[in-house]
Amino acid sequence: MSLVQRNRIKRALLSLGAIAVVYGIAAEIGRWVLPHRIWMDVHYIDNVELLPTYESLAEELAFLIQSWILPSSILVSTGRILAGFLLGSVVGIVVGLATGRAARLEYVADPWTTLLRFTPALALLPLYVIWFGYGEASKILLIATSVAVVAMLGAHQAVRGVPQVYLDAARALGASPRLIFRKIVLPAAFPQIFASLRVALALAWVTIVVAELIDAKMPSLGYLLALAGAYPRVPQMLIGLATIGALVFLSDMLALSLHAKVTRWMRRTG
Amino acid sequence: MSSLIVLALAYTLLSNASRFIDVDQLPDPLRSTLRPDVLPPTQALVQAIVDLVRGPEKQPPPDEPAHMHHHVHTSDHVGVLLQQGVTLQTSLLITTGRVLFGMVVGAPLGILIGLLIGLSRRVDDYVHPIYVLVRSIPPLALITYIMLWLGHTEAHRLIPIVYAVATTMVIPTYHGVRDLASTYLVAARSLGARGWLLLRRVLLPAAGPAVLSGLRYALAIAWMTAVGSEMLMADNGMGNLIVGGGMWASRFQTRSDPAVVMVGILALAAAGWLMDSGARLLTIRLTRWAR
Amino acid sequence: MSTDAPRMRLEAADVGYTYPGQPPTRALDSLTVSIADNEFVALLGPVGCGKTTLLRIFAGFLTPTQGVVRCDGASVDGPSWQRGYVLQESAIFPWMSVRENLEFGLLAKGMEPEARRAVSDELLRLLGLSGFEAAYPKQLSSGMSKMVEVARVLATDPSMLLLDEPFGALDAQTRARMQDELARLWEQRRKTVVFVTHDVEEALYLADRIVVLTARPGRVQQQLKVALARPRPLETRFAPEFSALKRQVWESLRS
Repeated sequence: MSLVQRNRIKRALLSLGAIAVVYGIAAEIGRWVLPHRIWMDVHYIDNVELLPTYESLAEELAFLIQSWILPSSILVSTGRILAGFLLGSVVGIVVGLATGRAARLEYVADPWTTLLRFTPALALLPLYVIWFGYGEASKILLIATSVAVVAMLGAHQAVRGVPQVYLDAARALGASPRLIFRKIVLPAAFPQIFASLRVALALAWVTIVVAELIDAKMPSLGYLLALAGAYPRVPQMLIGLATIGALVFLSDMLALSLHAKVTRWMRRTG
Repeated sequence: MSSLIVLALAYTLLSNASRFIDVDQLPDPLRSTLRPDVLPPTQALVQAIVDLVRGPEKQPPPDEPAHMHHHVHTSDHVGVLLQQGVTLQTSLLITTGRVLFGMVVGAPLGILIGLLIGLSRRVDDYVHPIYVLVRSIPPLALITYIMLWLGHTEAHRLIPIVYAVATTMVIPTYHGVRDLASTYLVAARSLGARGWLLLRRVLLPAAGPAVLSGLRYALAIAWMTAVGSEMLMADNGMGNLIVGGGMWASRFQTRSDPAVVMVGILALAAAGWLMDSGARLLTIRLTRWAR
Repeated sequence: MSTDAPRMRLEAADVGYTYPGQPPTRALDSLTVSIADNEFVALLGPVGCGKTTLLRIFAGFLTPTQGVVRCDGASVDGPSWQRGYVLQESAIFPWMSVRENLEFGLLAKGMEPEARRAVSDELLRLLGLSGFEAAYPKQLSSGMSKMVEVARVLATDPSMLLLDEPFGALDAQTRARMQDELARLWEQRRKTVVFVTHDVEEALYLADRIVVLTARPGRVQQQLKVALARPRPLETRFAPEFSALKRQVWESLRS
């Protein structure tokens, strides 16, 4: 590990540590200074910790894990994301590849994609609930839709963006259009498709959280937040937020390392 | 354009199919798709638009019995909305206003942070990790926490939008400064350029295209966050319109009219597309040198 | 007919090409040139004279807006592996290893893996790249990368080669070495070659005949026979005949 990298890690740890310390202090101060009673639309609620101390956070975390509430929520939400993401990315990539390849198809698909592109995914939720009921299907399909739109755009642009030199060289070597698509277009387009999938993943997380907030049912991370907001129980809320943040971060790191591995041929070493 | 018209025609045919054929005879899933409460006929969509644009009826004079002037709306959903004085135009305007606020406040914030971490490696090492953690939390999830601090105020609804735009703008700016402008900055500095000149004539044009395309993306994010914010916690704006009005507790439990939802979606898509086209044209004009 | 006039492989008769645009660009105008079998012809000219355009027309990527182009008597109908074409830009496929790059044309022909391997082994040996077969293009120097591209085209054994300033992006030493490589390859497997360049020395060193083109719109300015003995070692560059020819070409270019 080089000096630069070590410094970088040191500084990262320093600033994160500083934040943690500052929060701890703020929470302690807040215990005395912040109001304990807040107005919730129709009545007052007592005993609210607006900035929970590490103590109460730890307590709450222990409770949530032991009662299996947190782990099951994580599993359910992650499961939905996985299902929606897989479905959406496959459909999106296939359609995007097709429209990238055949200009005529693009013409047909264009109004659809524009419509879907500029519709915030969340706005589709009420429609999906009407069509598919309140169950899993509507949520998974919502995620799939938003992922598919991003993936489709990414695949389309990736196919269109393959440098002409490669296509010309392949044609000059006598390759058939099918061979060109398989061995030239797809590999060349892959990095960009992967990048758009990363974006789609982040979008999927945003979508699922709100969808679960709106249609709050146990067990799910969104429900956890909604419940915590209804009581209100702030330690639970913060833990819920931190959990979501951690999951988003982890999934992004995973996507990033996968991307790096798959595009090894792109980076110049020589 | 013509494909849009074809689409509209095809939809009209499909949605009215139940009028001409006995849908119940068809096999599932065709049966459950062609029902008017699933695919609202085009006429219903038009009616909903008309109702929502025309707005609430004038209140009957107090001495007349109310039930004499009870206008039957196409659905409860529309009725509830109109009762609250919601119209399509005002909702659209309100949401657009929120989006613009988020952009105007959030974008400079995000750009500033992106500039700081892009220009100084030291600041980058300290601030970047914090940024990565912060942006991992979806802005709309924060909204429940913010409500405890600020209650049901406008600020409470706007903060997630600002937050979303700001976090979205950091990376494109960072990329623009670090990867695109750095060589030019070095060259310009060795020519003796400093400060304001450096900023305006080198940094801005070099990093500009990346920032502009980031702005377009942030615009889309702002729309989504604004609508989401309204769906959860507002009593005006497009998100509210789609979800059916009513206060937080009773909303989304009500009988949503698919026609209203579709109209809302179409209006949002149109508005989003308009703004994006504007942003795209602006980008093209401002980056003529890069073409 | 025992005395054979050299067979014409490529013929351009009164060819013109105009690029569409605002305003349209006339790249070639009334250009007539013929390439004989197994002849090494260099197309030489100033920047923008249309030599790349002419080569692309020969390769089958462009159709002349005026005039006629023939290959072996038939009209040119699109790209074909028979007219091996190496582009000016780097077109080595970065996601494929060196061996996969070399074998690509053979894959397109439907050759079996063992047969492909035999050909690529031979080429690797010829190029002195044995040991690099599993390397990815990013690990190669630009000179090597270009040679792989040339070898990739040679793999399909076309009888004609169309090379567009293949060594243009290389530094002087590498370029000289690559020129030697190409000359050596050509000695071993004689082919009809059309070689585009703006470098006078390179043209003289490699070609049998130089076709000098005028500035835009391109026409044939002059054709010079390069009557230097083959094979041409390094000393050829310093021979008096070489300098005399060089002067002739420069004068032609300047007028």
